Amino acid sequence: MVISLKDSLKLLGIFIMSCCAVTVCTLFLNYNMDLVGLEPQIGDGMVRIMYDAQIMTGKVVSIVSGGCLLVTTVILLFFYIRNYINTHKKELGILKALGYSNFRISGGFWVFGLSVLIGTAAGYGIALMLMPEFYRLQNKEKILPEFSVHFHPLLALCLTVFPAILFALLSVLYSYRKLKTPVLELLREKTTLKVKKKKKEHKAIGELPAKKELPFLRELQKSTLGANPALVFFIGFAAFCYSSMMQMSFSMDELASKFFSAMMVIIGIVLACTALFLAITSVVNGNKKTIAMLRVFGYSEKACCGSILGGYRPVAYIGFVIGTIYQYMLLKIMVTVVFADMDIVPEYHFDFKAFGIVLVSFAVLYELVMWRYTEKLKKVSIKEVMLES
Amino acid sequence: MIRVNNITKSFGNKENKTEVLKGISLTVAEGDFVVILGASGSGKSTLLNVMSGLEKPDTGEVLYDDKDIAKLSDAELTEFRKETVGFIFQQYYLLPHLNVDKNVKLGADLAGSRDYKKMLDAVGLGEKLHKYPHELSGGEQQRVSVARALAKNPKVLFLDEPTGALDEATGRMVLDYISSLQKEYHFTIVCVTHNLNIAEMAGTVIRMNSGKVVEICENKQRKTAYEIGW
Repeated sequence: MVISLKDSLKLLGIFIMSCCAVTVCTLFLNYNMDLVGLEPQIGDGMVRIMYDAQIMTGKVVSIVSGGCLLVTTVILLFFYIRNYINTHKKELGILKALGYSNFRISGGFWVFGLSVLIGTAAGYGIALMLMPEFYRLQNKEKILPEFSVHFHPLLALCLTVFPAILFALLSVLYSYRKLKTPVLELLREKTTLKVKKKKKEHKAIGELPAKKELPFLRELQKSTLGANPALVFFIGFAAFCYSSMMQMSFSMDELASKFFSAMMVIIGIVLACTALFLAITSVVNGNKKTIAMLRVFGYSEKACCGSILGGYRPVAYIGFVIGTIYQYMLLKIMVTVVFADMDIVPEYHFDFKAFGIVLVSFAVLYELVMWRYTEKLKKVSIKEVMLES
Repeated sequence: MIRVNNITKSFGNKENKTEVLKGISLTVAEGDFVVILGASGSGKSTLLNVMSGLEKPDTGEVLYDDKDIAKLSDAELTEFRKETVGFIFQQYYLLPHLNVDKNVKLGADLAGSRDYKKMLDAVGLGEKLHKYPHELSGGEQQRVSVARALAKNPKVLFLDEPTGALDEATGRMVLDYISSLQKEYHFTIVCVTHNLNIAEMAGTVIRMNSGKVVEICENKQRKTAYEIGW
């Protein structure tokens, strides 16, 4: 079979995303489940307000973080499968030509669910280790009655095994859909680009408005972005994660514990770096032939790299801005709605200092990554790329 | 004029060294149509890569009007390719996510040429500006690559097995386009092929074997693409 267990282990991005999602969700949901068990002991007044606020926080954080990461992991999975099919077109075409059904071939894609299982299991394990400290800090003020960590088998199952089954199923179904390509097209390694064509109204030449022509490198930049929207999403997502998580952790200094802030920083950096490296690596690998051809024709290295990587810069900064707005809205809602009745929670204002620090650190990190990949692109051997074809 | 003096080129490490070019010397006159013939593995494609500045020789000179491109840095070689040469490859190497118009613009922008669309008309693709490479036949794709190469007004056009992936009728058509455009724009052609028939179109034929030039002859009676055998 074309797909092996080894292939599933290569899905590092999916492993990291599912690990982060399950760590966050396990911490909050396990805490919530244990807290719900205390409800008969919760009276009125401050204890009730604290109880309701903690339950609501757990739900909001699990839904927002878990949901956001789940959607991203699904997109990442589809991206991996599509790439896998594109790079193994010939082998898959041969199998189909020999008489293997689409269903039989796509059945092998279930192994991609394994990377999710490893990620969720690791995430659950990390959460278990962090739980005692997390519980202590959540009830630092001792407003709620004391309670210890309990193991909830159903939660463990729901957060580890079920996602893996869901993702294995999604892998099979998505690959089944993708494998509907005719055998000859797979064997010919023909480009199956879906290029969006603008609807044009056919007017007489005299009626056509004068359209400003862009220089070739600008056109190339535009079409590189348009050729793979998933990569645009991941670069925007990387910036979004970095911006929102880092700024939130700064702002939470007053609103929550140091533990919480540190967790946010780590998750933010891990997610941002994973998404950014995955996306940029794909951009570079996917455009090697284009760069080789540009260099054959005499375009400078700087021009080649700029036309391929430069277009993603605005995307990254837009992602950063969206992340800033998202974290501000989330914290504002939490403070003004969820913790509205609690006097110990200070008023929340936008933290311009945190914004400035995070923006500068993001710019430095992003430009460093781009510089690293530009150097990598400069080393692309024209001959090797052409011999690969 | 291009003068190649005693160039050698090897690949591999010390234990596994393969000498591909073994002291090649030849001259290509301005405006000539030179065909380099040779069997697979004779070193003809490596010679084309060295002559066009895609690769540097181990020893020897490649002189373009007394300027030795073998001594240029990578950046200088890029500039040289930009100013001087055009390429047409067997596999076309069109950029798949750009339409015909943009693919040709790749070459035209380097020369600052605004009227590159006439090159598309010249190869009979003026009506297919908005088609993408995967929507074209092999012959049409090769014609786009001809237009792309010529849109940058090269002084020398290098062809690497230009009809290798085409059927007879399409191959003849592409060669005819190249040949008639050469008459109009007076550029030099260096074409590498194993198709003996294409040599009948050339002004000079260079035969290679095992990394050496074994024969250089001038062709007094050049034929058109529709007169040669296939």
